[in-house]
Amino acid sequence: MVLSILIILPSLQYAFAQDEPGEYMDRRVEIWNLFFRMMTVAFTIGAVVSGTLIWLVIRFRESNPKATPTKYEGTGELDG
Amino acid sequence: MVLELQKPRPIWQIMFSTHHTDIGLLYMIMSLAALFMGGALALAIRLELFFPGSQIIADSMTFNRMFTVHGTTLIFLFILPFASSIGNYLVPIMIRYKDMAYPKLNAIAFWMIPPAFALIWLGFADFTWNAYAPYSVISAPGPAADMWIFGLKILGVSAILGAINFIVTILKCKHPDLPLSKAPLLAWSYLTSSLIILVAMPTFAAALLMLLTDRLAVSRFFDPAVGGDPIAYQHLFWFTFHPEVYVLVIPAIGFMYEIIPRFSRKPIYSHSSGVFAFVLLAIVGFASWAHHMYATGMSFTEKTVFMIGTLAAVPASAMHVFNFLATMWGGRIKFATPMMWSVGGIALFFSAGAGGVVNSAMPLDFISHDSYWVVGHFHLFVMGTIAFGSFGFFYYIFPYITGRMYNEKWGIVHFILSFVGAVMVFFTQHVLGLYGMPRRVFDYPPIPEWIAMNQFITVGAMLLGIGAAVFLVNMIYSSAKGKPANMDDPWGLGGKYYYPYEAKNPHHSH
Amino acid sequence: MSSHSHWSEWIYIGVVVALLVWVGAEAWNLERLVEHVPEDAKVIKVTGQQWFWTFEHEDGTKEVGELHVKKGVPYKFEVTSTDVIHSFNIHDYVVLMDAVPGRINTVWFVPFDAGEFDIQCREYCGLIHYNMRGTLYVEDDA
Repeated sequence: MVLSILIILPSLQYAFAQDEPGEYMDRRVEIWNLFFRMMTVAFTIGAVVSGTLIWLVIRFRESNPKATPTKYEGTGELDG
Repeated sequence: MVLELQKPRPIWQIMFSTHHTDIGLLYMIMSLAALFMGGALALAIRLELFFPGSQIIADSMTFNRMFTVHGTTLIFLFILPFASSIGNYLVPIMIRYKDMAYPKLNAIAFWMIPPAFALIWLGFADFTWNAYAPYSVISAPGPAADMWIFGLKILGVSAILGAINFIVTILKCKHPDLPLSKAPLLAWSYLTSSLIILVAMPTFAAALLMLLTDRLAVSRFFDPAVGGDPIAYQHLFWFTFHPEVYVLVIPAIGFMYEIIPRFSRKPIYSHSSGVFAFVLLAIVGFASWAHHMYATGMSFTEKTVFMIGTLAAVPASAMHVFNFLATMWGGRIKFATPMMWSVGGIALFFSAGAGGVVNSAMPLDFISHDSYWVVGHFHLFVMGTIAFGSFGFFYYIFPYITGRMYNEKWGIVHFILSFVGAVMVFFTQHVLGLYGMPRRVFDYPPIPEWIAMNQFITVGAMLLGIGAAVFLVNMIYSSAKGKPANMDDPWGLGGKYYYPYEAKNPHHSH
Repeated sequence: MSSHSHWSEWIYIGVVVALLVWVGAEAWNLERLVEHVPEDAKVIKVTGQQWFWTFEHEDGTKEVGELHVKKGVPYKFEVTSTDVIHSFNIHDYVVLMDAVPGRINTVWFVPFDAGEFDIQCREYCGLIHYNMRGTLYVEDDA
């Protein structure tokens, strides 16, 4: 649903638009439209990435009651 | 750890030394001085922009000089030398050799920088750090312009000499038992960024020389009246400086590769992905330069080619983000100051990159070109990623250089002020650019939204400034009076994560 | 330590590449449309110089610092400079093109709304760059 709104419908519109006298493309509308669609995608991905990061920070902090030692602790070998 | 400074030595011994740790220290002190000087200019700029009209700066020429020197200082006199500082300290240790390949050349490369620093600051040119022709040729007042040109010439040579040193040290002086593919990722970051410098820098050296000869009216490279082309300067400039921005960011990512695994108490998720991503970025980074020039009247095909080149560099950076997140997963993470800076840095790195992808879309350049969107975007990289990574690594290396711990609470205060400040300043600047405010402007029309955003940004900048002051006090006080650090495990991570390089390096010991 | 990537990294990279391809395709498509100048666009010559804009209409009328156009009519700007690089920008209409001495750059638009809009310079050009402004007046057709 989101995909069709963001991607397919605008592409179809472009394919059929031509510049007739009296029917010119409004650059403001088209350019800002692309901008807002890209921003929607960027913020969605941003939410996923930062959400993951926040979850990682909370779940794997050493003060979390569920924290367990990693299997590398005490071995001294970090780079193999 | 060999980096300790606990036995005071006469200052001239350090100044004349060719040992890599002393040169690292010299680079460190100089780069931090540049950070504060360039940062002070930024605070002055932000205070001036608090209201329309003139506030604390009397005229636009002074303002123009200030933002030029601000950018030039922070890029060439803070970020690059700070990276050289850490590289000098750690690269020989990481590849298990006694020093850099060419110690005397190393010292020469450092000592070229203070005179260049002086030339730039005493000149105080006004033509932006880009120095575009024809303005820089026919309109920029000398001798400031010429001093800037000479200063940058010297810095370019210094960078090339440093790059040669890193490349030869890593490739030729590494211990025979250490395969290159297993060298630490921080060492790889110096190898790849040095290779970029070697290839990219000479183009700008040519451009600088051409600017100088044009200014002296000995040549007319950029003069359209006789068949020259001002756009040629931009191609030469950006051919160097787009790859150069990768030179700036790659060591900072390298810093995070040292800190994140250690403080997560597990190895990096995929060492080989990290190597691949650095090398890929170094190569693909050369394919995108003219995305800075979309507005110059390039043809549709040219713009498309450079858009593709720009987008092609994104997966490499995305791989680093994945690597860091996957490393933290399943770890037991100590959020000491260095780790906070690294994690904050990744978050801002991602935002900067996302904005960059939007920028690369050619038609969107009509909205954002030379507006505050661009200012917000690149500052998320240079401050949000590179400075954050650098601060984190500075806190990390502090006990090893001074033998003392910095004050952890003040380190956290510095981080919080900086993170909040960075978001307030740089995210808002994106919006301000969307509202149309151009960059490099001393004054602006009294549009209410512009005024409100400028004020919000200035407040955020003041938070950054306060954080920097906290940092300065913490560093100075803790170097002299901080608690002596447990040199085996300053952060109580448990286990021996430190300097596996040291354990196998016969040249270094406590 | 793992030397081989887990499948999750490959999927992640696949998603990233798919997104980038989408960005590129959209941008390419829109740019193609934006650069297609209508045949009946009226030409306006725009000249930037330190630190003001001058305009010349097809019929020879010249304007300094202000530009009068008619609503709904397509216009094609031929932008150049007589000294240093400037950049002609009408932000409200997303018109932006560098004014480079020795070359003529082209950008077109249709002013769909009547009113007054800001013209500004978007490339640093020295002392009064910050105030190298003008006004676009879009008039309703009588």
